[in-house]
Amino acid sequence: MNVSIVPALRVLKPAVLVGAVAFLGLVVGYWANAAFFPGTSPQQPINFSHKIHAGDYEIPCMYCHTNARRSISAGVPSVNKCVGCHNEVATERPQIRKLMNYWHNKEPIPWIKVHDLPDFVHFTHKRHVQAGIECQTCHGAVETMDVITLGTAASKTSGVTLASAPAMKMGVCLDCHKQHEVENGLDCWTCHK
Amino acid sequence: MSNIERREFLKLVGAGSVGVGAGFALRESIKHPIEHLIPYPVPPEEFSPGVVTWYNTVCTMCAAGCGISVRTREGRAKKIEGNPLHPVSQGRLCALGQAGLQVLYNPDRLTGPLLRTGKRGSGSFEQTTWDEGLAQVGDRLDLLRAAGRGNRVALLSTGVRGHLAGLFELFMQQLGSERLLHYDFGHPHTLYAAHRRFFGEERLPYYDLKNTRYLLSFGADYLGSWISPVHHALGFGHSRQGRPDVRGRFVQIEPRMSLSGAAADEWIPAQPGTEGILALGMAHHMVSEGHYRGDDRDHWAAVLAPYTINQVAAQTGVATATITRLADTFVHSDPSLAIGGGGAGGHSNGVDTLVAVNALNYLVGNIGKTGGLVFNPEPAIGEVSHPRQASYRTMLEFADDARQGNIEVLILNNTNPVFTLPGAAGFSKALAEIPLIVSLSSFMDETTTLADVILPSHTYLESWGDDIPEPGVGFPIGAVSQPVVAPLYNTRGTGDIILELAQKLDIGDAIPWRTMEECLQAGWRKIYERGAPDTSTMSFDSFWTALLKAGVWGEKTQSEQVSFTPAKNVIDSIGVQAPEFSGSSDDYPFILHPYLSTTFHDGRAANLPWMQELPDPLTSVVYGSWVEMNPATATQLGLTEGELVDVESPHGRIRAPLYLYPAIMPEVVAMPIGQGHFEYGRYAKNRGANPIEILSPQLEPHTGGLAWSATRVKIVATGKRVKIVKTGGTSRDLGRGIVQTTGAKLGAAHGTKLNSIPITVVST
Repeated sequence: MNVSIVPALRVLKPAVLVGAVAFLGLVVGYWANAAFFPGTSPQQPINFSHKIHAGDYEIPCMYCHTNARRSISAGVPSVNKCVGCHNEVATERPQIRKLMNYWHNKEPIPWIKVHDLPDFVHFTHKRHVQAGIECQTCHGAVETMDVITLGTAASKTSGVTLASAPAMKMGVCLDCHKQHEVENGLDCWTCHK
Repeated sequence: MSNIERREFLKLVGAGSVGVGAGFALRESIKHPIEHLIPYPVPPEEFSPGVVTWYNTVCTMCAAGCGISVRTREGRAKKIEGNPLHPVSQGRLCALGQAGLQVLYNPDRLTGPLLRTGKRGSGSFEQTTWDEGLAQVGDRLDLLRAAGRGNRVALLSTGVRGHLAGLFELFMQQLGSERLLHYDFGHPHTLYAAHRRFFGEERLPYYDLKNTRYLLSFGADYLGSWISPVHHALGFGHSRQGRPDVRGRFVQIEPRMSLSGAAADEWIPAQPGTEGILALGMAHHMVSEGHYRGDDRDHWAAVLAPYTINQVAAQTGVATATITRLADTFVHSDPSLAIGGGGAGGHSNGVDTLVAVNALNYLVGNIGKTGGLVFNPEPAIGEVSHPRQASYRTMLEFADDARQGNIEVLILNNTNPVFTLPGAAGFSKALAEIPLIVSLSSFMDETTTLADVILPSHTYLESWGDDIPEPGVGFPIGAVSQPVVAPLYNTRGTGDIILELAQKLDIGDAIPWRTMEECLQAGWRKIYERGAPDTSTMSFDSFWTALLKAGVWGEKTQSEQVSFTPAKNVIDSIGVQAPEFSGSSDDYPFILHPYLSTTFHDGRAANLPWMQELPDPLTSVVYGSWVEMNPATATQLGLTEGELVDVESPHGRIRAPLYLYPAIMPEVVAMPIGQGHFEYGRYAKNRGANPIEILSPQLEPHTGGLAWSATRVKIVATGKRVKIVKTGGTSRDLGRGIVQTTGAKLGAAHGTKLNSIPITVVST
């Protein structure tokens, strides 16, 4: 007996079409989210600009992120530290008023974390800073950024430049470890422990 | 596409929109969740975020007094390890010590002062302030003191040492009360008494397990629960594997194989309570064979005459050949060491038994010798707990006093006698007669539920204090404990509470310190001024800082050579009667062997989930109680594992499932102590059974201590079964070659190098 699928397709044709359109929509929706809402430069509670502080005024990174050289986490400056200068500096700007509000209420500023490694990665700032690695190597040219932006896969393929942060992916870590011939730098348990 | 219908078109539009929405949501859902970076408004001075700080302090989970180092980050305690500088723990720590974090973070902690509202024991309390709580207690104390009835105040504490113990003394003295008692179920009263009688010292000696060649342990589970397990384990390890040419040998004599028995080279079951008789049988053999050459050997021979090998073999159930072999090896291994305690000290003849063990050490010259028994110096600073430790008899007297209305205020400090005294003592009924009960406990334990005012104290990780380890390590040491985290709740240090009460009572002249920290510094200044050679260059502040950093202070002095000869009347007093048991052997055919649990100690750790889920080292049971019985006995009775049985003594009955344990004498049943709480938080409450409850009030006559191994029981099957929760499968080898044994002649065993392979030598 001769069996053909053509009649079946003919019956299903409207359904196939609907499915195809739905799938196309899925792809478009996904792309739209990735393109327009990448989450790589989230809206922070205060529009703090690294460009003004680290760029224009050349304040060293570790003036505020004091713990980078002695702790696994670089840390974020205490509100107290911001107020230390802004008691005197630019006190009339609306963003600084916001800061002073937090200070007067003794509340922390809920900054949103941009550079975040998964919990299964053990990374310590202390070792990298003490080994003389520039902050910009991983974080990009922070001193040029009004808003801190996370590197993406695109910035990796276009070559790591100081202007854009590399995507914080394992390959980037390994490339650097290879290049510097880090002792045990390629062992799994150096970072995954 | 010209002929597309309206309906078809709408379908496509719908599908497209749903697709876009779903795609958008898909990407959104796999995005990294937003994390916040929360800065401190003002940075703390004590620590930097992400930087680990270790604080040295002292463990109080049992009475050994190990030094600990606590790892903290961002002001939170994360991990507890042993303090490498502390001579007791030397960087090691047991499971119980490590679980101390769960004391700190326990969800059932008392978070602030409470006043009773309902009937006593109903468990209804209302929150109050410290001022109000302290005023309630202080006013009553003031009244009693002013009326000259300060002696009607009692302070019942867990064993505390150092300056806190001294502060308790001072406080009660100022009140005019002598009713200051420490009470711990596991306190080795008989061991202290045996040392006092034999050596004339009210202190425990240092047992040098580390350097010994041959250890005879009469019932002391030195690796599991006996006086200082971590330190003993260190010594055990070194004795076994730390010396290139010598492998220490260990013999354990006990009716039920403990952790130490399982680790020993030889396990010898002697009839319960006859361990001392066995020791004297060995002593008899040594003296009659002429191994003892002292001037008073005739005296010894006369005292030991009744303990002939045959007589002792008949009484103890140990073969004559074994007795002579143990005695000969003990004589010829130099140095050797005999220790005794645990179940063997918990019989009606407990003190005599342990004196007999001391006699063994004396007869072969192990006293004051490396690898033997070394005397400890007097504590250099602070008080020890033993002089105040209440025996069972003292607790009964206390209960009588309470019943007669002689006690008007009872202050409880982290001790739980309602749980750790037998039901026969009637302690909770006696407490009902006391008008005001104040508890300083950190948890709602069985005794604290009966309190009227609860002033919860800090846990040991939040408190100031100091400690003199008992037993010591052969030279003077002391340790300081400091808060490793800021207090989590609205609690206060025990010492600080007492100091505040003292302020209220206007006895500040005798007790001039405002805080416990001040009291400690004042005390330790004496050590500082005692003339360390660098005193002149070092200020007290830097001494104190150095002390806190190290967590421990010690003077490694050359101990002078001790020549010790027991007096005539001491030798005359040697002799061990047959043990007495309550209940006839017809009605109650089994001897109950309760033992301090490696995981819960005397029950104080039953509220720690880590300890609940830690498999017992010998049975692998978790979360519950069990009754150990020899499989042969069980077969006779037609019982199998998991059978729920009633363990019935003349004084009560408890229910637990049966566990078949091959390493127990057929006429003995064993139960771990620690479970069976009816209060004490969500993890402890209503789990398992408490064997202390059914113990007979049999006393050891010399100390008045409870003879807690002297209860006879019967086993009544209930016909119900439960599945015992345990991690182990079968305990048998089943021909898999897991544990290899080899027959060896005694002489050959000495020469065998057994360091590398796990072979048990069965001496034939």
